[in-house]
Amino acid sequence: MSSNFIKIDEKYSGQEAPGSPAAGPQATLAAGATAEPQVFPPPNGAARYDTPVESGSGQRGRKRPGRVPRWVKQVAVQLSAIAVLIGIWWAIAAAEVWPPLLLPGPQDVFQQLFVITGYHDGIRGYSNYFLQEHLWYSMSRLLQGVAYAIVLGVPVGILLAVVTPLKWIFGPAIDFLRNLPPLAYFSLLVIWFGIDDTPKVALLFLAAFPPVVIATADAVRSVPGERVNAVRMLGANRFQTILHVTVPSVMPEVMTGIRLATGIAFTTVVAAETINGIPGIGGMVSDAQRYNATDVVMLGIIVIGLCGLAIDTLIRLADRLLVPWRGH
Amino acid sequence: MSLVSETARGAGSRSGSGAFLPVAPGKKPAAAGRISLANIVHSYSREAAPVIDGLSLSIEPGEFVCLVGPSGCGKTTLLKLVAGFEFPEGGQVVVDGSKVERPDGDRAVVFQHSNLFPWLSVRGNVELGPKLAGIGRAERREISDRLLDMVGLEDAAEKKTWELSGGMQQRCSIARALATDPAIILMDEPFGALDAITRERLQDEILDIWRNSKSTIVFVTHGVDEALYLGTRVVVMGDRPGRILLDLPIGSFGAETGGDVRRSVRDSTAFLDLKRKVRDTIGHSGKEED
Repeated sequence: MSSNFIKIDEKYSGQEAPGSPAAGPQATLAAGATAEPQVFPPPNGAARYDTPVESGSGQRGRKRPGRVPRWVKQVAVQLSAIAVLIGIWWAIAAAEVWPPLLLPGPQDVFQQLFVITGYHDGIRGYSNYFLQEHLWYSMSRLLQGVAYAIVLGVPVGILLAVVTPLKWIFGPAIDFLRNLPPLAYFSLLVIWFGIDDTPKVALLFLAAFPPVVIATADAVRSVPGERVNAVRMLGANRFQTILHVTVPSVMPEVMTGIRLATGIAFTTVVAAETINGIPGIGGMVSDAQRYNATDVVMLGIIVIGLCGLAIDTLIRLADRLLVPWRGH
Repeated sequence: MSLVSETARGAGSRSGSGAFLPVAPGKKPAAAGRISLANIVHSYSREAAPVIDGLSLSIEPGEFVCLVGPSGCGKTTLLKLVAGFEFPEGGQVVVDGSKVERPDGDRAVVFQHSNLFPWLSVRGNVELGPKLAGIGRAERREISDRLLDMVGLEDAAEKKTWELSGGMQQRCSIARALATDPAIILMDEPFGALDAITRERLQDEILDIWRNSKSTIVFVTHGVDEALYLGTRVVVMGDRPGRILLDLPIGSFGAETGGDVRRSVRDSTAFLDLKRKVRDTIGHSGKEED
């Protein structure tokens, strides 16, 4: 509090000599406050009312050129936090609170990154596939599952929204499917489709399908009637109305559905690859678990997590490009 | 005018090669823009009492009719019936000799909220009507250039609609409505959400547009001043059920004098007398004006 009172005194002195803003005790003020003499002198004895003005001019100073941009600060803080986290991990591992088999240090995990992205002791990657190959197979399965979900889910969603009896029949079925844990029906898929890629893609498709259908159906149902009227009064026929208003109107919500579906499918990848999952990042993790290769498991988890973040970022970028009018 | 000779192929335009030239005087067939409502009965659900009960109204081409009345008296409903967004349970809505069966580019609507398409630019919104009618790119461009210039948005043509202020959005909405060269323009409290200064400016602009296009305008408003200033005819409606209480041909205050003498018009005895008359009518219907 005392420092605030000092600042107010300084401002009063600035008030008396506005022609020389840099003179006297004002030079000791924060950079943001020096340039601006107070236009309205605070009333006597009302010092407390003046303190927000002080902090306000300080905030304006933050936007000035030459200062560190906010996002740089944010990234710096985030990187430091990660560094601290890795430091703690390293310290615990080094102290061997738990045996290295259970908790390998960050350096062990990092070393595995090089081991399984290349040849090591004549062994090719992990289980004869490089890490990037495992990742590639998983991603292509994910892509296929999500692509089928979009290609089938959007038309089905439109149909459910438009044809009410279809909604009565298939609405509860979609909800039923949506609430099933993917592993519950994976066994059935294996029985039906074997242990190749088909059941895995099917599983990812079934996980991604409901969110796309539900988002599309909701979006079609909630197209504002006034917007439809606006295009009809321009002379649009039924087909033109769908093309020029329904489709662009539903796009933001459909994109949200796709983003959600991709996220759900992604979290299902490891489950989909528990049976005969190699090559595949999920298969790699479950295989490494069988051999207590904890460092590979941890590396796999980190790679899966980062990959998920990257995919979500890509979808958000696509969203910004495809539906810049979102929210308007 | 030159546009007509250049593109005399009449690509799907409803009223011949003169279509899409709202500012070209005398191009429209003389009879276009006649609205006739006969014994309209309309309600929103079967159980509810009718919103409109036994309403009849005839509007001649080129009239500027302002509908005033308390909230819920069916002004907007009436507009929707003429637009073809809704259909009456009883009676007939006839425009230019044919029954209204669906919305059409000949009956443009300017909504209370601009209701623009956010995925299209300002120009895209204006050009959508001509595009739907199969007008070619170059001609669409000429239409949008001319209309955006008319409403003062020539510098905002490539902007996103949500980058515009409320007044500019409503201007764009007017330009979009004019792009199909409508014989009838239906306006549902188009300036209701705008500030007073923008509203007055747009009132004068719509008068200019009306003078140049000779369109029939049906203008729904809450404001008695606005109705008297704009209209050549003020129709006062009462509620429960919606019906016509007063049908007042008033000549036109704004149209003949222009915006610069707005104040003297509003202070004139004739204006104030009419205003009292309209207000009394609304007051006697048992509901105060909004």
